[in-house]
Amino acid sequence: MSGFGGVLPWARRTLVERDKILSSEEFSAILGICQIVPGPNIMNLAVCVGSRFAGAKGAIASILGLTIGPVLLVLVLAVLYDHYSYLESVKGVLRGISAVGVGLIASTGLKMLRDEFQYPAMLLVVIVTVLCASYFHLGLGWVVLIASPLALFLAWNKAHKV
Amino acid sequence: MSILLSLFLKLSAFSLVAFGGVSALLPVLLNLAVNQEHWIDLQTFSDYFAIAQAAPGPNFMTVTLLGWHIYGVIGAFVATFAIAWPSSILIYYLQRFILGIKDPHKKQSIQYAAAALAIGLVLSSAWEIALQINHGVAAYALTLATIAFTLFTRWHPLYFIALGAVLGLFGFI
Repeated sequence: MSGFGGVLPWARRTLVERDKILSSEEFSAILGICQIVPGPNIMNLAVCVGSRFAGAKGAIASILGLTIGPVLLVLVLAVLYDHYSYLESVKGVLRGISAVGVGLIASTGLKMLRDEFQYPAMLLVVIVTVLCASYFHLGLGWVVLIASPLALFLAWNKAHKV
Repeated sequence: MSILLSLFLKLSAFSLVAFGGVSALLPVLLNLAVNQEHWIDLQTFSDYFAIAQAAPGPNFMTVTLLGWHIYGVIGAFVATFAIAWPSSILIYYLQRFILGIKDPHKKQSIQYAAAALAIGLVLSSAWEIALQINHGVAAYALTLATIAFTLFTRWHPLYFIALGAVLGLFGFI
């Protein structure tokens, strides 16, 4: 519930630094996997950490623990929105927040992009993906299907070079 | 009932291609909900996006709110469940497989490839969402300022959200 601006930093602090359930390397390894598979990253993390300690039951418990509070809270906000969305000030606040929200998503992508410059060929994958998605407007499944052979090929070369 | 089923099936399918998480999925979600199925209008979708950004908790809340809009509390839970279950099952099995790969090159290759895909999807997502929900120069300026400050400072994202809210409150955006 205290996961303002994403839950990941908080998850790390609790699991690694406070409760010492995982070592820092283990956390990074698990997080690496969670960020590469599709789906909500934080749910993936919950599945990985939960299943490590209590199998499938642990995974389900982690997901429920992580989602129920925020979902209920956001539903309260939704009810408030239904009542007050006609107010000019509420509309303004939401416009401001969504402009910032877009910026936050873009900078997440750009921060990850910085790491790719150590092997610039990988930028080709990024370019192909962006072109497929934003210029040719292909469906997400097609984009992944078209870009992933190139991604795997270049990644194989990168892994042998870097 | 059929609308609930269609919501469930569409979101479940998205779950398996959402490299880069729900952020990468937003334009597809917008296109489906606003343009194809007419579940919701663009303004409400943008407002839900803003609420999800400002609320504490994981960033897939836009999906939860969309479900709420379509079918109330049940819709909210169905949408949240739909976006999570396929990828959760996938990673449950995949994590053992990947952690079990002994060849470090293979492991690295998979990680590099997926990272590159995720970056492309997240960037094009940000681009398309900006085109849809930013109206006017001030909104784009705020988006660009957010990008610049988050890249070059270590301020917490919440400060920027608060700043956006205040600017919006006084009618600048």
